[in-house]
Parts: sequence; C-alpha cells; structure tokens
Amino acid sequence: MAAIETREKVAELGDKYKYGFVTDIEMERAPKGLSEDTVKYISAKKNEPGWMLEWRLGAFARWKEMREPNWARVHYPKIDYQDAYYYAAPKNTPKKQSLDEVDPKLLETYKKLGIPLHEQMALAGVAVDAVFDSVSVATTFKDKLNEAGVIFCAISEAIRDHSELVKKYLGSVVPVSDNFFATLNSAVFSDGTFVYVPKGVRCPMELSTYFRINANNTGQFERTLIIADEGAYVSYLEGCTAPKRDENQLHAAVVELIALEGAEIKYSTVQNWYPGDENGLGGIYNFVTKRGDCRGARSKISWTQVETGSAITWKYPSVILRGDDTVGEFYSIAIANHFQQADTGTKMIHLGKNTKSRIISKGISAGKAQNTYRGLVSVHPKAEKARNYTQCDSLLIGGECGAHTVPYIEARNPTARIEHEATTSKIAEDQLFYCLQRGIPQDEAVSLIVNGFCKEVLQQLPMEFAVEAQKLVSISLEGSVG
Amino acid sequence: MNAPISTLDARRAKAVEAFRVKGVPHRRVEEWKYSDLHAVLGADKVEQAGAAKWAVETLPRGVELFDLAAGNPPDWVQQRLGSLSNTGAMEAASLAFAKSGFALRVAKNGSGEVRVRFSGEGQARVLVVLEESAAVTLIEEADEFSGFQNIGVELVLGPNARLTQTRLTPKADQAIRICEIAASVAKDAVYRAHIADFGGKLSRTELHIGLDGAGAETHLSGVGALNDGHADVTAHVVHASGKTRSTQLFKYVAGGHARGVYQGKVTVAEGANGSDSRQTAKGLLLGNRAEIDLKPELEILADDVQCAHGAAIGDLDAESLFYLRSRGIPEAEARALLMRAFIGDAVDQIESESVRASVWQAVDAALEGLS
Repeated sequence: MAAIETREKVAELGDKYKYGFVTDIEMERAPKGLSEDTVKYISAKKNEPGWMLEWRLGAFARWKEMREPNWARVHYPKIDYQDAYYYAAPKNTPKKQSLDEVDPKLLETYKKLGIPLHEQMALAGVAVDAVFDSVSVATTFKDKLNEAGVIFCAISEAIRDHSELVKKYLGSVVPVSDNFFATLNSAVFSDGTFVYVPKGVRCPMELSTYFRINANNTGQFERTLIIADEGAYVSYLEGCTAPKRDENQLHAAVVELIALEGAEIKYSTVQNWYPGDENGLGGIYNFVTKRGDCRGARSKISWTQVETGSAITWKYPSVILRGDDTVGEFYSIAIANHFQQADTGTKMIHLGKNTKSRIISKGISAGKAQNTYRGLVSVHPKAEKARNYTQCDSLLIGGECGAHTVPYIEARNPTARIEHEATTSKIAEDQLFYCLQRGIPQDEAVSLIVNGFCKEVLQQLPMEFAVEAQKLVSISLEGSVG
Repeated sequence: MNAPISTLDARRAKAVEAFRVKGVPHRRVEEWKYSDLHAVLGADKVEQAGAAKWAVETLPRGVELFDLAAGNPPDWVQQRLGSLSNTGAMEAASLAFAKSGFALRVAKNGSGEVRVRFSGEGQARVLVVLEESAAVTLIEEADEFSGFQNIGVELVLGPNARLTQTRLTPKADQAIRICEIAASVAKDAVYRAHIADFGGKLSRTELHIGLDGAGAETHLSGVGALNDGHADVTAHVVHASGKTRSTQLFKYVAGGHARGVYQGKVTVAEGANGSDSRQTAKGLLLGNRAEIDLKPELEILADDVQCAHGAAIGDLDAESLFYLRSRGIPEAEARALLMRAFIGDAVDQIESESVRASVWQAVDAALEGLS
C-alpha cells in the first residue's frame, strides 16, 4: 500500500526541479575534444604563466595513461571524453568594475537561484564569488576581506597574482596523478576558488561560492584551494544548482584544503545539481576529489555535505590527520531518489599522535536509487592514541531502492580506539502512526521524521545553509513516502 | 546460482577454466585486499598440489559416506558436487584439481556427530547433504603442518535441517590454509558455524551462505587468537528469501606480527522483506607490529528489513585493568582475564560442551603467549 503510493508520488516529482532553466548567453568555447591543444588553449585563455602550463601538460600526459576507475557502485554509459567542450566562458566579460556592468541576464539567473548578490548579501553577511561556467564574474566584499588580509579570489587570478602560494600548495594534497578524474581536472581545470587566511586571522565572514553548470556539453572542472595559515579559521560554503539538461554533463572538481598549525577549516556543501528525470534521463555526473590535510599540530578540518542532486555522485571528502592532536570530521546527508546513484563517504587517515576523527553519515534512498556509503578509517603505526567514531545510518523508502555500506577499518596501532556502527531500516510505522494520530499530515510527518533522522548533520551547517538544507531535504523527498 | 551445467565433468571443466583465467588472487583483487595469497603462493603450486589427507573419525549410523577418490560417484554426488560453486578462484581450484575428499549424506530425520580431520598438504573437496529435518554436528580438526592446503566444502541443507559446524585450525606458522565453504540453507533450516583460527602464514576461511527459503537462519561466530601469523574470515550471507535471519559475531586478539582480518558482507535481495541481520566484529590490538582489518559490509535491496553492524578496535580497557589490579590480581593474570572475557561471548556460541572446551583450551594456550 505504502509502496504503491510512494511510486505514484515519486513519479509526480519529475517536473519539480526548481532550478531547471537555461540562460541564453553567448558562450566562448574551446574546440570540442581533449588534446594538448585544448590544454594550451585553456592556459592561454587564462593568461597563465609558463609553469602552470607545464603542470597542466604533465597532468594531461599522465591522464592519457590512466584508466577510468570502475570499483564504485555506479553505472553509467561510457563517457566519450573527446565529445565535450572543456572550456566555456560567457563572451564579452573583460573585468567588470561594478555589478551594473554585469549582463542583466546573468544577474537574473542568480536571482532565480536565490543568490543574494546585491544588498541582501550585506544582511546575510556572505561574500560570494559567483562562478558562472568557469569565469568569475563578480566578486564582492573584497574590501572587508582585504582589511583582514584574507585572499579570496578566482584561482586563475591567484595563479597570476599569488603564484608563490599557489605553486607551494597546489597539488600538495591531491597529487596530479591521484586518480583518473583528479588528473583530468589538473589538466583542464577552468577556474575555481582560492582562499588564503593569514596567520592568526579569523576570517570575518562565511565565504561562499555558487557554482553553476550552464552551457550545453561543457564539463566543469573546478579547482578549489583553501589554505588556513597558523591559528587561522575559515568557514567556506559551497552551494550548487544546475539547469535542466537531457545530456549528461560531467563534473570533475578537485578541492584541496590545507590547515597549518592550530588552524581550522570548515567546509560545507549543499549540492543540488540536476539529478535526471524520473526515467533516469539526463542529470549531472559528479566525480569529485575532495581532500583536506591537517598539516600542522592541533589543526582541524570539518566536512559537512548535503547531497541531494546529481545523477551520479562519486565523492569521498577525506582528511589526512598528519599533525599531532589534529581533528577530522565528516558529516553527510546523501539523498538519492528516482534513478540517482550516490557512492559517497570519507577517508580518515590517522598519521599523527592523539588524532581524532568523527564520521556521521546519513543515507536516504527512495524510488529506484542506489545509495552507498564507502569509507576508510586507517590508523598508521605511529598514530598513538588515535580515536575514531563512525556512525552510518541508512533509511530506505520503497522496495526498489538500495542502501549499501562499505566501511574499511584498518588499525595498526594498539593504543587506537575505533568504533563503527551502522544500521539500515525504513521509516518506522509506529513513528508515522504517532504523528498521524496527532493530526500531522503524512507529508509533514515524513519530513519531520527524515529531518529528525538527519538532525545531527543539519546541526553542523552554518545557519544560512541549515535553513536551505532543511527545505532541500523535504523537497527532495516530497511525496516519496506513502 | 544453480547454473544449467548438468554434469559433474562440465562443472569441473568450468572450474579449471575459471581458475586459469583468474589465477591466484592478489591484493588488487578486492576480496583479497588484506590477504595477498599471490605473494606467498604460485599458480603452479595450486595446480600441482596433491591430495590432502582426510579421515572421518566418527560416523553416526544411517549416514552415507562416499570417498570421492573412488570412481563412479552415485547420483546424489553427481548431482550436487560443484553445484554451489561460486567460481571464486580458490574455490574453483579445489573443485578443478582436488583428487581427494568425501561426500556425506544424512537421510531424513537422521542425526549425529561427525568428526573429520584433515592433514598434510594438498587439496580436497567435501560435500555434505542433509535431507529434510536431519540434524548433524560437524567437527573439523586439523593437524599442524607446513605447506599449502585448500579445501572446498559444499553444504546442502534441506528443509528444517540443522547443521552445526566447528572449524578448529591450530597455529601453524608455515601453513597456507584456505577453506571455502558454500552453503545453501532451505526453508526453516539452520546453519551454524564457528571458526577458531590461531593463524598461519596465511589462513583464510571463506563462507558463502544462501538463505534460500523463508525461516532459514545462519549464525556465524569465530575467534582469532593470534600471537603472530595471519587469520582471515571472509563471509558473505545472502538473504535470498524474506523472513530470514543471520547473525555474526567475530573476535580477534592480535599481538606480535599478527594480522587479523574480518570481511563480512550481508546482502538482502530485492523483495526479501522481513530479513533480519546483525553483524559484530571486534578486535583487540596488542602489538606495535600487529594489524587488524575489519570490513563489515551491507548491501540492501529491500526496504522492510532490520540490518545493523558494529565494529570496534581498541586496546585493553585501562580502567578495567586497574580495577583488577587494585583487587590484588597480578597484571599478567588480569590481562589474560580481560582478554578471555573479550573473546568469551564468541566462543560461547558453540553449543557442544566438549567442542567448546577444546576451543577454550586452544584459546588459553594462545593467550598465554600474548599476556
């Protein structure tokens, strides 16, 4: 009974993708396909110094030798890497001095997305570096950040203006040849974000970037590099929506975080890219490499993610706990509906003494979706008194979806303590009944229960995001529970 | 699962093919990530391994025994042998190359205890068929030896049958010991297994269990008390039918250069509603050079299920140790006591008192070297 209703309601969800629109702006594209020339084209477009081009070409040479990984529990038709554009930029966008100069159509797009690019931003206290298909168009709050000495800019800008920092840290957490998708990204990344928080500075506001994939047939290859120098603190928000498309779009981003002694980085993501329609057509392929390095003692890196979008998610935000007394955290909500496939989790690599990590993962599957948690907790021989706590819970809605848990636990130090717990279940009939008999409508009751299930993770999000995320959790599952 | 390969010869031929394609598994093969067999064993050694010696020491009345080395196997052997083959490389090897082994059949409502002993190098194949409502305890012991041994076991449990198996493998530093158990558990039947492994150069027990009928249950438990050496239990339980139950409880104590491995996967097939599964794996790491790897895995394709797993690795609890010492118990003794308590609930899963006692004896001997 419940299952039938679920199916009907899930079918209704088809047209509900709120962000499914395409902005009609002239694009400037690299020639189709991927070759050394494409890499050179991108590098030239960005006015990059020679060393950067060398770096890219080195990555490209490696990539040609690599094979696409197939161990994840995701299935998709073979990607033809020669049948895509690797660079697309809105035409006529030499540096804008103020928002008035920005193409009104672009601004309208942002408005639809609810990005507070104007005065609302001041109220929200958010500095936005909006990435519209690869090129940063408008950046605000520069002054306030400048005052604090925080560098927050497009990575292409950083490569030109702060090349020493970029040279030192780029690829130091995710090496060029780390994996197939990261290597591809290293060769052709178009733009992204660079953050440097100097010694002892607490970044005065939440930093935020909205990514959008817009032009047809262009994979987006973002590169993010965040460095928190000794004793610094920064909280970074990444929010994503993408317009509706029938062809699958490839997205292979790389995010590198570096926390030096006593620094703290908090990285939050709300990912709501187009997941494909109710028949599994279209949607974004999201193959992302995210890794943080707690390089200095007493540093901390915390990942929080709410993953509701993408046809395929392949993503394992990890932390290398290199310094002594470092802390790594991973809080995740992954929701998969219709034909979505999510294979996500984390790696906590304990190298230093007294390192601590905590993993809270909540997976929700509905429709015909497959949701996998894949995680590694590894304690190396020198990680005295390392501590890990992992909890991963799965919620199944309907009989045609799947929830999978694949944790790897490797301990090589006798003083380490590792705990792992996982449960899989459906929404309890008695909880639902309890709500219903108190007069709470079914949809609301389900939303209530699911939000309760995710509570521990939602609490970790910065305020501005928490509200949005809570809504997103409800919208993603709207009507999917009978 | 039951491929339409009708004859034993065809199944063997397929197994030969499967092994030759796959070769000896190495750590790049996901299921063998923590047990690199290839590093200690060449493919030629597998093909040329001789026949492992076996002896059935007790055989209850009414239980049919057939020596696989003899020609002209009866129909029930022809039909079943190799039918649960999962074409894992080593399982295929034992089906393909084993020259020795035996088949047992327990008639409807038959019961009793069967004691088996394997010794020496080589490969062997075992088939046990329990007809409806039969109940058998299978106790497997092994002699210390060095070299390579590979045993493939198939267990067919008819409706309402009960099979309780205990595998006791003593410490053997120079032994490479692989055992693959495939079981098909029919409606209302119960399969219990306990694996007590004290380590070898590489020792691995693989279990592939299909809960194929409503009401089928399996309960797996095991201990690895290692003061060196390598012990691996890899279990895959498939809830193919709804209303089935499985539990797993594995405990490892590892000191010295030991490596304890547990990989447990539970699959709930689509539509297998009402499945209930519990999995617990815990490790006590005592040496700076020791390692414990746990990988409890869930693959759930039905929604009305209750599945959970827990895993933990740690040291002896300092507070408990202090408590005992404050009561005047010497440190070594206190440590042994705590280790015993840690392992205890896994050993206590063994129903037979005499078997439990012999496992305890072996555990105590191993712990002595650890505390």
